[in-house]
Amino acid sequence: MNRRLNSRRLGDILSHAYIWFCLILFVTPFAALLSYSFTGSQGSYAVQNFQYVFGSFGNNLWWSFKISGLTLLLDLLIALPASYALVRYPFPGKQVLFSALTLPLYVPGAVIGIALVLTYNFTYHLTSSIWGLVMAMTVGTFPLMLTPIVVALKDLPVAFEEAAQCLGATKWQTYWRVVFPLIGPGISAGLLLSFIIVFNEYLVTLFVHPPGVTTAPLRVFNLVRTAGLLPTTAALAVTMQLISFVAVLAFFRIFGTRYLKGTYLI
Amino acid sequence: MSRVYLSSITKHYGATIAVHEFNLDVNDGEFVTLLGPSGCGKTTTLRMIAGLIEPTSGHIYFDEQEVTYLPPPARNIGFVFQTPALFPHLSVADNIGFGLSVKGQKKEMIQGRIDEMLALVDLSGYGNRLPAQLSGGQQQRVSLARVLATDPRVLLFDEPLSALDKNLRDTLKYSILDLQRKTHKTAIYVTHDQSEAFAISDRIVVMNAGRIEQIGTQTDIYLHPQTPFVAEFIGANNSFVGKVTHIENMGEAARVAVAADGFTLYSNGYARFKEGEEVLVYIRPENIIVLNDSEGSSYDNVVEGVINRLIFEGAMAQLRVDVGGREIRADVSGGQRLTLIQRQGKVRLGFNDVTLIPVSKDVPL
Repeated sequence: MNRRLNSRRLGDILSHAYIWFCLILFVTPFAALLSYSFTGSQGSYAVQNFQYVFGSFGNNLWWSFKISGLTLLLDLLIALPASYALVRYPFPGKQVLFSALTLPLYVPGAVIGIALVLTYNFTYHLTSSIWGLVMAMTVGTFPLMLTPIVVALKDLPVAFEEAAQCLGATKWQTYWRVVFPLIGPGISAGLLLSFIIVFNEYLVTLFVHPPGVTTAPLRVFNLVRTAGLLPTTAALAVTMQLISFVAVLAFFRIFGTRYLKGTYLI
Repeated sequence: MSRVYLSSITKHYGATIAVHEFNLDVNDGEFVTLLGPSGCGKTTTLRMIAGLIEPTSGHIYFDEQEVTYLPPPARNIGFVFQTPALFPHLSVADNIGFGLSVKGQKKEMIQGRIDEMLALVDLSGYGNRLPAQLSGGQQQRVSLARVLATDPRVLLFDEPLSALDKNLRDTLKYSILDLQRKTHKTAIYVTHDQSEAFAISDRIVVMNAGRIEQIGTQTDIYLHPQTPFVAEFIGANNSFVGKVTHIENMGEAARVAVAADGFTLYSNGYARFKEGEEVLVYIRPENIIVLNDSEGSSYDNVVEGVINRLIFEGAMAQLRVDVGGREIRADVSGGQRLTLIQRQGKVRLGFNDVTLIPVSKDVPL
């Protein structure tokens, strides 16, 4: 009896230790970054590191938001019809097409970057405006937008669409009134994933950004490369991290875990 | 309200034939049920009537209008699915109003119709709820209301009760029938459940392997099955292969003797056989009576056997009797089933209604 109690206690202690170990492992780098961002000269405490955020870095953040917004819009405009075609219509080579569309997920960012420079820059000269960058981001994040929508559509029983059609709805009405709201969980998940990637991506931006456009992550990258890791740069990094964090929190606040899981459908 | 007319409807999926040369004429306001096992083509037929599937060949008419290749929104039908398929993001009221709203009707008109339909299916006051807040039976009633709101020409039902529990099925099937009678809609109903089909239909179409086996009323199908499939599907479980040995009298008064598996069985009222002809013999378990020792003379057939097994199923008891090496099943109801539980050994069975079907009518499988 006593021994069993002891072994149970030991198990409890070990599992607690494991959880704390994981937490420390994941949180330490961010905690270190946070504390570094408040470090002034001679190790003093300095809030003024964050003044840059509201100075020239605000411009970089604005570019990031603009490019993220345009990319998400373009992603959605392509992914909505593409996912519907992929799930609802039989056609030869469907699997191959889906694999090709999700290819950017498996390809290293540098490879995509070189490929984009080759096509967008040398061949089509698209990188003189931000549309080249937006298109590059769209290529990179498209699978993240497409896959959750495809999954949501696959889970959506065809009976809803058939019921709508039998009630007299045209294909268009069926899509906007029934299908689109019901695949909402997939769409919002795709938007969240893509936003976080686009907002934080520096590598692809490095390759195809037009002159005069520096996004927030690219600015951080450039600063670290040229001036080394300064506390002021850390302050910018922390700000970016907060924005991503707020995006995730807002997603769960607005849509809830229920929405994310898709139990909304039942 | 419409007459529905199907002319040699055929549907192929690659090499498989789902529906073959299907002809059916459903009268205005009639309730017709397509009955058959799963995979017999009944749902495919219904979906072709709805326009959800296009037939490979043949024609479908609603009254004088050919609708064979019209898409569903252009047909003005009401389709009730196996699942209620209520739009989960819309309230009960918006679900019912959906059909009118997509047709661009005025808001006030839609609201009036919604209230009318809610009252019709006995769910007044439930308009603001979401479908998930209703029980399965209520959901299926809303889907009926949703379909009726658009005033469709034809009501189509694809096993609408199969997802519900038994008690609910029993009450809801009569609600469906009541609504159909009240609204005078032509209805085509698909089910694999014989008792459901018998309870609500004006006519029943028994289907098997993509073909029509028999069309008729409940009594036609129950008393005069035209094919072995129909006899067996409607529950004639005791079957024998036999040969007509002799026939007494002619016409209605004919008495046919059949030698089958070592028995001689007598059937009355069949004059369409010749001596020596091979026939299939069917005896329904519910038509077999367990006799007391003194009884017997009033039955055409009396056989003696040994009880193999008695399965007590509640309202009925299933008796398996070994008669000369053949097992015969008798369904016993009433008080008799309880006294039989104690009974062992020999038993005498009497029965009159023996169904004979010529072997030549057998459809090769």
